[in-house]
Amino acid sequence: MIALIHNETLKLLRRRRFLVVLLILAILIPIFTYAQYKSVLTAQERMGTSDWRALLQQQIVDTQNRLASSRMPAEWQEFLKVRIQQQQYYLDHNINPMAPGAPTFARGFMDQAISLFLPMIIVVLAVDLVSAEFSEGTIKLLLTRPIRRWQVLASKYLTLLLFVSLVIIATLMLASLISGIVFGYSGWDLPVLTGFQVVGSELDTSRVFVLPQWQYLLMQYGLGWFVSVVVGTITFMVSVLVRSAAAGMGIMMAALISGTILTQMASTWESAKYLFNVNLGLTDYLAGVLPPIRGMTLSFSLAVLSVWAIVSLMIAFVVFIRRDVTT
Amino acid sequence: MDLSAEVILSVTHLQKAIRRKPIIRDITFEVYRGEVFGFLGPNGAGKTTTIRMLVGLAAYDGGDIKIGGYSLRDDFTRAISQVGCIVENPELYKFMSGRENLEHFARMSGNISAERIDEVVRLVDLAHALDDKVKTYSLGMRQRLGIAQALLHRPRLLILDEPTNGLDPAGIREMRLFIRRLAEEEQLAVFVSSHMLSEIEMMCDRVAIINQGKVISVGSVASLMEQFADQVEWTFAQDKLDAGMELLRSLPFVKEAWLTAEQRVKCRMETDKIAEANKALVQADIPILGIATKTVTLEDLFLSLTTGGEATA
Repeated sequence: MIALIHNETLKLLRRRRFLVVLLILAILIPIFTYAQYKSVLTAQERMGTSDWRALLQQQIVDTQNRLASSRMPAEWQEFLKVRIQQQQYYLDHNINPMAPGAPTFARGFMDQAISLFLPMIIVVLAVDLVSAEFSEGTIKLLLTRPIRRWQVLASKYLTLLLFVSLVIIATLMLASLISGIVFGYSGWDLPVLTGFQVVGSELDTSRVFVLPQWQYLLMQYGLGWFVSVVVGTITFMVSVLVRSAAAGMGIMMAALISGTILTQMASTWESAKYLFNVNLGLTDYLAGVLPPIRGMTLSFSLAVLSVWAIVSLMIAFVVFIRRDVTT
Repeated sequence: MDLSAEVILSVTHLQKAIRRKPIIRDITFEVYRGEVFGFLGPNGAGKTTTIRMLVGLAAYDGGDIKIGGYSLRDDFTRAISQVGCIVENPELYKFMSGRENLEHFARMSGNISAERIDEVVRLVDLAHALDDKVKTYSLGMRQRLGIAQALLHRPRLLILDEPTNGLDPAGIREMRLFIRRLAEEEQLAVFVSSHMLSEIEMMCDRVAIINQGKVISVGSVASLMEQFADQVEWTFAQDKLDAGMELLRSLPFVKEAWLTAEQRVKCRMETDKIAEANKALVQADIPILGIATKTVTLEDLFLSLTTGGEATA
C-alpha cells in the first residue's frame, strides 16, 4: 500500500495540482491582506481614532440604528441582535476581537474561506484523481496488476487525505506568514471568546469561555480540515462517477455555490439543513454566528457532513469495484 | 501442436451480456506455452470485449478464464500476475518519463529490480529516450514502452490487442519478429488479436476465428486451410437442388455438403473423386450445370466464416 501511495503522490505532484493550489493561495492571501489593511485604515480615518473600544462601540450603535429604522426580514434582525450581544460581551470584558496581527488575519481568513474558497481548492485537487485515469486510458494498465481494485482506489483516497492535510497546513502557514509582513506576528496569546450558544434569537453566553488565539486557530483549522475531507470525499465520488474532469468540476462548483446562496437566503425551508453544502461554515459555530437555518448546531453539522462523506465513499468504492472498464 | 504443451490460458464457455443483450455467447479455446495465438474476427464480433475479460477489466457472466491454472474470477491476483497486456492503444502517463512510467508499474508488481527495468528497456530498444517525457514519444516508441511495461514482471502470457495498429510497414515487420522471438526464445504464450489476416497468417501458430460472440473455428493456420480446402461447388437445376445434395451426402468420400447463398451445393471432398461423384449424379438423373473447385485462402475462409456463417465446420 505504501508503494501505491508513493505512485499516487508522484502522479498528483507531476500533474501539478498541488502546485496550482499553492499558487492560488500565494496570490490570493496577499490580496486579502491588502484589503484588510485598507479597511482598517479607512475605519480609523472615518472615526478619527485608532481606539478599538470606540470603533466597536460605534459598530454597535450603527447596528442598533439599522435595527430600529428598517423593515428588514425577521431572520436578519435576529442575526444582528446576536451580533450586538456578542460585541457588547467583548466590550464588557475588555477584549479586542479584531486586534490586528498574523493570527487574527489567519482566523478571519479561515472564517471566510471555509464555506466556499477552501472547498473549491480541494475540488481542484480531487476532481480528476480517478477520472483522469479513465480519460487518459491508463486505468487499463492500473487495474491489470496483481492488486485488488479496492486497494487501487484506497491508495488514491489516502493520497487525497494526505494532500488535504497539506493544504490546510499550507493555508495556515501562508496566511500567517504573508499577513504578518503587514500586521506583525504577535497576538498568538490574544484571548478569544468561544462557546456561544444560540437559543432562538438569544445569545446564550453562560458557557462562554476564553481561549488563547492559537488554540482557537487550531480548532478552526481542524474544522477546516474536516470540511475539506468531506468535500474531498464527495468530489472523489464524482471523479469515480463522471469521466470528464470538466463535468466533475461543474457539478462540484454548482453544489458549492448553490450552498452559499442557500445559506444567504436565511432559509425558511428547514429540511435544506440536511444538504451538505449549507453545513460547511463550521467555524461560525465557534464565533457564535446565527446558523443559516434554525436548529443547526455544530454537532448537527458534523453529523450531516459525516453521513454525506461515508455514503459518498461507499458509492465510490462499490461503483469502482463493480464497473466494467470500457474506455 | 504437441500434446504435452503446457496450457497457459484456458477459456471455457465464456459468456457475457451487456444490458441483457448477449455479446459473448460461447467462447472456448486454449493457448499454450511458446506459441503465438491469433484472435481473429470482424468488428463487433466480441474481440475487444473478450480481451477485456481476459485481463480482468470486465467481469464475465458464465464460463471461466484460467491463467496458469488460476481462475481470474476466484483468484484474481494470482491469475493476473502472470499476464502482461496492452489493451487497445498503449496509454501511459504522458507527463512522466519512460523510466518513471516503468518504475510506477514496477512498484505495483513488487520485487522488480532496477536491473530488470534496464533489461526490459534493452529488449525493446528504448534506452536512448528513457528519460524523455512520454508525450514526446512517437507511436512506435509508445508501443515499445507499452510492451516494456507488459514484460516487466516476467509474465507467462502476453496479451496484445491489435499490436501493429498505426505502425508503418517497417514497424509492423519489426513487431512481428519481436513477437515471434518472445514466443520462441522466452517461451511466452502470446495472444494477439487482429483484423488483419495476412498479419495473423505470418505471425501466428494457431488462430481462433470468432463471430457474433462465438468461436467458429480454432486450429493451426495450416489445418484450418486444409479443413476448408478441397471444396467443390456444384451447380444444379433449381428443382434438383435437394436431390443433388442428398446424393452427394450419401457418397462415402464426401465429408460434408451444404447449400450456399447462391443456391449452389458446396461440398468438401478430394478433387480426384470429382469424376466418381459426377458419374453417380448422372446415373441418378441429376443434370449438372457446373462444377468448380475452390482454392481457399485464409481470407476466403475468414469471409465465408464470418459473413452468413454458412461453413459451419
